Amino acid sequence: MEIIIDGKKAAVQEGETILQAARRNGIDIPTLCYSDALPGITSCRICMVEVKENGVTKRVASCAYPVHEGMEVTTDNETIRRTRNVLLNLYSARVPHNKDIKALKEKYDVPEIKRLQVNKGETHLAENCVLCGLCVKACEEMGTNAISTVFRGAEKKVGTPFDEPSDSCIGCGACASVCPTEAIQMTQENGVRTIWDKTFELIQCKECGKYFATAQEIAYVKQKIGNDMDMALCEKCKQKGNAAKFKEALKAELDI
Amino acid sequence: MDLSQVKQETLAIASSYKPERRFILAILQDVQRKYNYLPKESLVIVAEYVGVELTKVYSVATFYKALSLKPKGENIIKVCDGTACHVKGSMNLIQEVKDILGIEPGETSEDGKFSLETVGCVGACGLAPVVVINDEYHGNLTPASLREIINRYRGGENHGK
Amino acid sequence: MESKKTILVCCGTGCLANGSQKIYDAFKEQLKALELDVELIPDVKGTGCHGLCQKGPLVHILPQQITYVHVKDSDVPEIIAKSITNNEVIDRLLYFDAQQKAKVQSKEDWTFDKKQMRLALRNVGHIDNESIDDYIERDGYKAIAKVLKNMKPQEVIDEMKHSKLRGRGGGGFLTGLKWSFAAKAEGSPKYVICNADEGDPGAFMDRSVLEGDPHTVLEGMAICAYAIGANRGFLYVRDEYGLAVKNMKKAIEAAKKRGFLGENILGTEFSFDAEIVRGGGAFVCGEETALIASIEGKTGEPVQKPPFPADKGLWGKPTIINNVETWSNVPLIINKGADWFRSIGTENSPGTKVFALVGKIANTGLVEVPMGITLRELIFDIGGGIPGGRKFKAVQTGGPSGGCIPESKLDLPVDFDSLTAEGSMMGSGGLVVMDDRTCMVEVARFYMQFLYGESCGKCAPCREGIKRMLEILGDICEGRGQEGDIDLLLEMGEAIQESSLCALGKTAANPVISNIENFREEFEEHIKNKRCPAGVCKDLTEFYVDAEACKGCTLCAKRCPVGAISGEKKQLHVIDSEKCTKCGICIDSCKFNAIKVK
Repeated sequence: MEIIIDGKKAAVQEGETILQAARRNGIDIPTLCYSDALPGITSCRICMVEVKENGVTKRVASCAYPVHEGMEVTTDNETIRRTRNVLLNLYSARVPHNKDIKALKEKYDVPEIKRLQVNKGETHLAENCVLCGLCVKACEEMGTNAISTVFRGAEKKVGTPFDEPSDSCIGCGACASVCPTEAIQMTQENGVRTIWDKTFELIQCKECGKYFATAQEIAYVKQKIGNDMDMALCEKCKQKGNAAKFKEALKAELDI
Repeated sequence: MDLSQVKQETLAIASSYKPERRFILAILQDVQRKYNYLPKESLVIVAEYVGVELTKVYSVATFYKALSLKPKGENIIKVCDGTACHVKGSMNLIQEVKDILGIEPGETSEDGKFSLETVGCVGACGLAPVVVINDEYHGNLTPASLREIINRYRGGENHGK
Repeated sequence: MESKKTILVCCGTGCLANGSQKIYDAFKEQLKALELDVELIPDVKGTGCHGLCQKGPLVHILPQQITYVHVKDSDVPEIIAKSITNNEVIDRLLYFDAQQKAKVQSKEDWTFDKKQMRLALRNVGHIDNESIDDYIERDGYKAIAKVLKNMKPQEVIDEMKHSKLRGRGGGGFLTGLKWSFAAKAEGSPKYVICNADEGDPGAFMDRSVLEGDPHTVLEGMAICAYAIGANRGFLYVRDEYGLAVKNMKKAIEAAKKRGFLGENILGTEFSFDAEIVRGGGAFVCGEETALIASIEGKTGEPVQKPPFPADKGLWGKPTIINNVETWSNVPLIINKGADWFRSIGTENSPGTKVFALVGKIANTGLVEVPMGITLRELIFDIGGGIPGGRKFKAVQTGGPSGGCIPESKLDLPVDFDSLTAEGSMMGSGGLVVMDDRTCMVEVARFYMQFLYGESCGKCAPCREGIKRMLEILGDICEGRGQEGDIDLLLEMGEAIQESSLCALGKTAANPVISNIENFREEFEEHIKNKRCPAGVCKDLTEFYVDAEACKGCTLCAKRCPVGAISGEKKQLHVIDSEKCTKCGICIDSCKFNAIKVK
């Protein structure tokens, strides 16, 4: 199937989104809430493109809009830029010190809207979180469901129930690794990982001695897979052995 | 409050629904009605009952305006701030309640007698401006008439229960 | 022998709030005590909304067609003695029609009612809220019988398509077309949903149908279920609408008992069941994908369309969602035919529309008019114009998704396309009338404040954009407006429209944009001169008494809640601006228009 992106013909596959098609064809579209492994959140809205099909022109979120034969896509024009400029300014008003948003603003040459009030931010999460929802989706996909969005509207945040350490959290860190703005604090010291106000004992790789997973994570995966695979090797060392399947199935794609 | 009693009562409420995720909101509404808020223990029980993680129940509990994690007052004063009431002076009514009770919208008075809420539209625009106290409607209000009504409730009259 | 009398007591929420339950009970009790001949005991019916809520409680007596307004329970003995037993009309309780400058006996002859055409509300106010027999008597469940006996599902869809009925919930999408998508869609089971999460501030059309004619909604849903091949329906009703929930529950039970709902309806193969889901208090759940999420037991967050619910809706299955008023039109179209329906209204917006006429208007209430009527007719003929000798300023249509329409555009015909072209929208049907005591900047801020509280927070433009626009509007209202703010609001508004995930966000900036377009000078006055011409924004307002106009009647001094006005009888009054809280009660109470805004 063929569509036109920014005036050029591009070969696309049935069922893929405009974003996927554009990126495969080397065309850049910015995103925050998109991950190949966790698509379809559609919350960040900076991937808007213009689509012309069946005589209708409209702006759509490229990360969720499927390609159709013969459609024309424009990834950069006056309206798209104006919208993106406002959006990135809204993000920087929310997380004024975040370097990822700063980098995006620089990359797309976004003029500063100085009039906007900016957030002060009380916690690290509030300082950097843009509420894209990737962490929650990652936690859902893991099946742990330790975090979710809480409250609504301007008060919305990501957290554990009652802001207490969650019984379900296994300290896998998938949430932190998918976060596009490094908002989730995860520290590792002396074989102990701390995340979401909970500490976890880290397990060393039998081969190389590197800390690679929490004890709870290993127990969780074992229980999920339901067999007695050798769980004592880190990712690298695993490749040598034959204990790799579970991790790839469940988690490898999340480890950006 | 007796914890085991809360748990039992919550379970009793939940049991009138099938243990399915779709009933989370309905069960929480009933729990809210019983206690005027959602006790933490109730959320745990509801999650267990319908078979989902606590996060799912907690996010629902914090999303909907009808639900509250904090105890509300004995009498709930809802000042309608729908458009019709707004253009007919609901702001003055909100100010009056603030002055009388010393609480902001969303707060509960120290004696636990009143909560103040502003609500979107209670659908009684013909009587604007409207205040609903517990489930009773009071229409065509002025700050003075509202003060009288609140004083009635203060005097121990309690229509809602 | 004299025909049996019926007393219809309006028991809509508006009249109940004014004490109509007491009146209903008093009639019941006192008629019983009269020990009339059994044949002569009048039926006392608690009905849905009669329309003119402001004059409530309303009582209508049949067959004489006498309508009484502002009835009190103490009037009941007199009504029974005179109007029921003696056919006498009590002049004191009749409605004074300002346009006709006379008291009018029956509501049928009120100017308020004359230009109306009640289709969706055809039964509301005429039947007992709780009586399925009353509904059946007025052609109720005739349409589902017709459909099941004489029509194939495709024929039902064709008829609906031909009728060109458009969704009354706001979007105005063609109902029949939507149904055809769900009928064709793969996936089973399919579902039918009634969106009764009416949340627009200033609108109560759906509530009146749910309260006053619940069966018509069920019948409409059953017809759709048959047409698309569904067997299960859900009614998502705002929990605050206690009476609506109660009446609908009873209606479902009654319909099941009579075989209009449940297994093998009317002895056919077709089965359809419906249940109520109580909304949790989230405006965003009026958006169909958010509503679906809410029924599934999740937070009410919308998801990206496409796929549309007709393809993948509730639990991923094909689902039709229509709003209450749309459903109410369905049985009528089936009974009377699509051609008849299209003869009403305009070419592209056939039929009628129900409006809640509220705000600064003489006749507040619920009206139903053919599409294409002008706003001027609605506001001045039916609504009776602006009370208190004040001047019309704007009418807000479409709720938080709509916009304010100024005087110069009042001759606009009311239909889906005209209002959208004006930067407003039909919305679900709230019409809020504003007079010169309304500040359009403050109104814009009000809508942003509302949406700030109701945005689900999932997508960034809606969550962050509304917050920042609200801050800027707040600044303007409080004297901190800056040059360039107006253009910035427009720029942000456009970006939010362009990029938001769902209809709530996409339309959120409409009230601001349309107010700027139509009332730009008022914004500029706030920003440049720090002055609110309407006298609403307290920080930018000062009141004074016009020495020429003041008659020294003392009313303002009496009404002032903070004692800021002083003056002797028949002497000029003075406002102490230190004490004055600028609530404006003095302005509203002054009969001589003597209190002015500096």
